[in-house]
Amino acid sequence: MASFLGHSAALVAALALLPQLVGEFWAYTLALYFLYAIASLGIGLCWGQAGFLPLGQAMFFGLAAYLSGLSLIHFKDSWLLLLLLPAAALAPGLLAYGIGLLVFRGRTLSGPFFAMITLALTLLAFQIANSWNDVTGGFNGLKNIPGLPGLSDFTDLYYVSAVALGVCLIGIAWLRRAPAGVLWRAVSQNEQRVRFCGFAVQNVKAAVFGLSGVLAGIGGALYAPQQNLVTPQLCGFLLSADLVIWAAVGGRATLYGPAVGAVLIGILTADLRDEISYWEVILAAIFIVVVLYFRQGLMGFVEPPVERLWRRRAKRTLDGPARPAASGDTGFALDGVRVRMGSVRILEGLDLAIDRHGIYCLIGPNGAGKTSCFNAMTGELPVRSGQIRIFGHARTGTAADLLSRIGVGRKFQAPSLFPDLTVAENFNIGLWGGRARLRDLVRMRSHGWSSAILREAQSRFPFLAEEDRRAGDLSHGQRQILELVMVLIAEPRLLLLDEPSAGLSQTETQEVIEAIRWVGGRLNACTVIVEHDMTFVRELADRIFVLHQGRLLASGTVAEIQADERVRAVYVGASA
Amino acid sequence: MDPILTINILNVVYEVSTLAVVVLGLAVVFGLLGVMNLAHGEFVMIGAYCAFFIQAQNLPFLAAIPLALLVCGFLGLVVERLLVRPLYARPFDTLLATWGLSMLLREAVEAVYGRGFRSVATPLTGSVDVLGADYPSYRLLLTVVSIALVAGLVWWFVRSATGRRIRAVVNNRELAGSVGIPVTALARNTFVFGCCLAALAGVMLAPLLPVNPTLGLDFILKSFFVLVVGGLGSLVGLISGAGVIGGVESVVSAFLDRTYGYTTVLIIAILFLWLRPNGLFPRT
Repeated sequence: MASFLGHSAALVAALALLPQLVGEFWAYTLALYFLYAIASLGIGLCWGQAGFLPLGQAMFFGLAAYLSGLSLIHFKDSWLLLLLLPAAALAPGLLAYGIGLLVFRGRTLSGPFFAMITLALTLLAFQIANSWNDVTGGFNGLKNIPGLPGLSDFTDLYYVSAVALGVCLIGIAWLRRAPAGVLWRAVSQNEQRVRFCGFAVQNVKAAVFGLSGVLAGIGGALYAPQQNLVTPQLCGFLLSADLVIWAAVGGRATLYGPAVGAVLIGILTADLRDEISYWEVILAAIFIVVVLYFRQGLMGFVEPPVERLWRRRAKRTLDGPARPAASGDTGFALDGVRVRMGSVRILEGLDLAIDRHGIYCLIGPNGAGKTSCFNAMTGELPVRSGQIRIFGHARTGTAADLLSRIGVGRKFQAPSLFPDLTVAENFNIGLWGGRARLRDLVRMRSHGWSSAILREAQSRFPFLAEEDRRAGDLSHGQRQILELVMVLIAEPRLLLLDEPSAGLSQTETQEVIEAIRWVGGRLNACTVIVEHDMTFVRELADRIFVLHQGRLLASGTVAEIQADERVRAVYVGASA
Repeated sequence: MDPILTINILNVVYEVSTLAVVVLGLAVVFGLLGVMNLAHGEFVMIGAYCAFFIQAQNLPFLAAIPLALLVCGFLGLVVERLLVRPLYARPFDTLLATWGLSMLLREAVEAVYGRGFRSVATPLTGSVDVLGADYPSYRLLLTVVSIALVAGLVWWFVRSATGRRIRAVVNNRELAGSVGIPVTALARNTFVFGCCLAALAGVMLAPLLPVNPTLGLDFILKSFFVLVVGGLGSLVGLISGAGVIGGVESVVSAFLDRTYGYTTVLIIAILFLWLRPNGLFPRT
């Protein structure tokens, strides 16, 4: 906390002293680029933190500028401005949030789709601003917009912009360090894991996009009274592209990068555009070079992308809130479930029901439908017909994040975690999922959550206590165990484990077996394991289910299955 | 038939077939390299400026075709080597790099020719009588050439050895490489080919477009929406996507105005992304 306050104080002092150093003309120019910098910070959040790229940020800037300009023209000197100007800044945020919900709902991989939609929207915004003469003034825009009441000279304008930029920077610095920031970076690395930890990824991304809309909105709302003129170009793709370049060159993943990029390149452009006719071309070339070779941008050389100091201080001192109490029945039931991909029949009327606590193994030759059975249960594969019930409720096609929140945990075959986050942050995503409320996500103390299961796991697997290590630096076996523990600390009542011992050494396998037995008993859970390793199965399984060609072939105790002729026939050569 | 209806139908066919040529280049590159080339539209733009340049030199219009192919082919070669190949493993960065490239090309052309609109004279004036309606000859010719081009390319893609190799690489890059298909060279040639196709479209369309540096932006968006609606990876999808996007835009623009045409296309694209993210004909 102390470092945070010190940091903020230094920032405020620097911004306050600047106009004394550079003089009035530059203070005026800086004031304009500070507003662009605020919008650019929003791109830093979306692209540098949450990992999706908005190409149409100017539409929010422009929208706020028009709203603020119209308010100032029609309600000059009225107290209503106290409501209207903040509303002008917030409206684009709401719009962005709505667009985000709409677009992110459709697909989990944002990739080019999101970027292209935002680009198209900003072109549309330009068209509307350009042709809706009655309201926007058409091509000539809104002219003679009055300034903010009570402010007169350029230095005043500078201070308004500087305060706005300072406040936004401090707010963003807080969010980046808070659990929310960790969650955003987790989303950019592995959306699937975030969903299976119980977070609705589309809402997280829409919220980040909404926030970026507010940042652009703040810039735009202040732009109108500062420049006294709002034209359609303010919604156009050129400003949108500039904002992206500034964020990239400044350093998209850093706190100050987008703002530094906006101010530095903005000032250079203002100065050089007329002198060097190819300036814009040079700028585009610089952008390409940054994308190819210097992804961290200018500030990446100065500033660590994520504040590691803060993290080291977070000690796990208090237990997080308890998971919501269990309700409903135990276990699950698949009833005649069919899944097809194209012409391939994956599940052919699978019936499988477990209604008791215990450890169950799902075995079967390759292609029998074991992993697909899990995929169908967690909504990853579309179910053609049949029904899935979990804890006694119909859950066919239910989204993974909801399943996680009601107590379904899943570990994937290949370790699925957040390689660029620390071990501590990986645990925290697991701990926050299903426990953290919105306000917990902006509180620093949520970093210090712990749980009995986590402590126990750390004493079983000592490497898990080295929480400052990057998860991606762990060995394959260690990553398997880390993912398993991430799933366990969410305290699921139904555990789906896909080959938890794959790639583990003999000793590690033994430790995992013990951990599964311990946790299964302790959580009173129903544990289902897909496994090839028969030693593993023999040691753990209360009951075995054999799948073959998308159907249930047999079920029974280890001894019964070993004696079963049909199972032998399927496994000829393997166990004969 | 009512002449106005005939003209509208011909307009839709014109819009759809020329759009299909542009999208074909984008789609082939995306299919083979997994690279969404956001600068594809700028190659169309450069093609159009080649036509303008040739006319300004008082050379015959057809001379623009070799010039555009040469310029864009060379550019494509350089871009493939410097931007696309180093970023194979980073698809998101490819998107950014080609977005940067699109800015670079746009700004470069703007630095030379300025922002203003240029017009290219139609090489074929006059009109033809089609079922009782007067239709501009050049548009008709363009429609026929576009359809022939797409059909020819599809035929070649399905029948030729190279086409088969391309399809093999699309299916399984590693396996194709291990059975001796020169994957890198094939990828390079395909990228260059995609750029040339865009350039060709640019030359052909130049007389009918307001030629300006931002012309490519419209094309890349429309092409992208065609892929969204049609679905990635099949020709039927491509053509039906071009049909929906090109058709809707020209019909709405004809009855209302361009802004509405644009808005409608955008709404369709968003609806598809939202409700049917894999398009009409998804890749299986």
